[in-house]
Amino acid sequence: MTTATRLPPLLLGAVVLHTAVFPQLRLFGVAADVLLLLAVAAGLTGGPDRGAAVGFGTGLLADCFLQTPFGLSALAYSLVAYSVGAFAETILHAGRWIPVLTTLVASAGGVLTFAVLGLVLGQEQLVSLRLATVAAMVGILNAALSPLALRAMRWAVDSRPVPGPVLR
Amino acid sequence: MALSRRSGRSRLTLIFLILTSITVITLDFRGDGAGLIGSLRDGAADALSPVRSAAASVLEPVGDALAGVTAYGELEEENAALRARVAELEGSELRDESAEEELDEARRLLELELAPDVPRINARVVSTPISNFEQTIELDRGAGDGVGVDMPVVTGAGLVGRVVGVSGSRSTVLLVTDPASAVGVRLARSGELAVASGEGPEVPLSLDFVDTEADVDLLELVVTDGLDASMFPPDIPVGRVSLAEAAPGQLQRRVEVRPVAELAQLRLVSVLQWRPG
Repeated sequence: MTTATRLPPLLLGAVVLHTAVFPQLRLFGVAADVLLLLAVAAGLTGGPDRGAAVGFGTGLLADCFLQTPFGLSALAYSLVAYSVGAFAETILHAGRWIPVLTTLVASAGGVLTFAVLGLVLGQEQLVSLRLATVAAMVGILNAALSPLALRAMRWAVDSRPVPGPVLR
Repeated sequence: MALSRRSGRSRLTLIFLILTSITVITLDFRGDGAGLIGSLRDGAADALSPVRSAAASVLEPVGDALAGVTAYGELEEENAALRARVAELEGSELRDESAEEELDEARRLLELELAPDVPRINARVVSTPISNFEQTIELDRGAGDGVGVDMPVVTGAGLVGRVVGVSGSRSTVLLVTDPASAVGVRLARSGELAVASGEGPEVPLSLDFVDTEADVDLLELVVTDGLDASMFPPDIPVGRVSLAEAAPGQLQRRVEVRPVAELAQLRLVSVLQWRPG
């Protein structure tokens, strides 16, 4: 089985979790962002190239269910996943906590990037006092789910050897 | 050398994806949410709605338990504030005759059927907001049932929001608490006009454009203004004043309103087939 056959069912499962399951399980009114989590996981396991591509795809899927401009999540997620991938390439010896901490920071950063890009596009309602809570909680919830997401992404994405150090 | 070539290719990929995103965003803006992108969104909403409905009914008790745990502090604070308010009301002169008359008037208004001349479609709330930013709910009625964009949504108590998206069998409602929501309102007793803006979940609406000299009472009823071209029919209860204070140096009075509809526990709502005049 290759990426072409494994990635679509993983994305479909993620969409179901993102739209049907996690919105029901909120902590402090905030739900985990599974599609952003997959983008970060792709950056961590596949590097900037693959991360940006998967981030763009998961972002478009997220945009299908939002009222914000279509493509806004795709832009934010691909930027975040690219940055995560570029960061992961610089790490020579990844400890157990590095992927979890990276997911925490990257997910919170992804939420902030989404809100700031939205503000640029005239979506002023995205930037409010609640933004800090949402970013922090998404970071924490996504970090808690990151071991599962990394495992799923390693299974789904074709693991041909990529030159240079990338978290595996 | 190989790493640098790969890094250059990665940057090209990123630039390509950024340009594609900007193109898609532009297409969405130009099409105003309709066309191919609108169809894509409608299709996605329709395809996943049975799964979402099923998940919502199965996971609701777990979600309620989690919400109860994380909102425990808020509930305690709210309880204390309510106790203090009850004590204040019991001991104050608000129990005089004029206040009782006002309360009766408000009760009568609440008992009236909302917008009785406007045809309505009853709908069931099938899912809660997906996004952490948007305060939206999904209804099990769509364009096929006569629901259209911008139609007001109410419960027996008052205004819930307005329809912002419609597919064949589902519709999306923007709640009045969403920061993108703004409702033209009137204070029922004083007749003062204002705009009620959403401030987020579990947060009171804020009233804009209330004059510092305006006479605003706590618990005063706030209803839709129904002015020409307003998006809502007149006299639908929106909420009750929970805070009214005039800070020195401010150009307008700070007024907060708690929605009368229980937005966190919506099950059945009515979509009013009403178009601005």
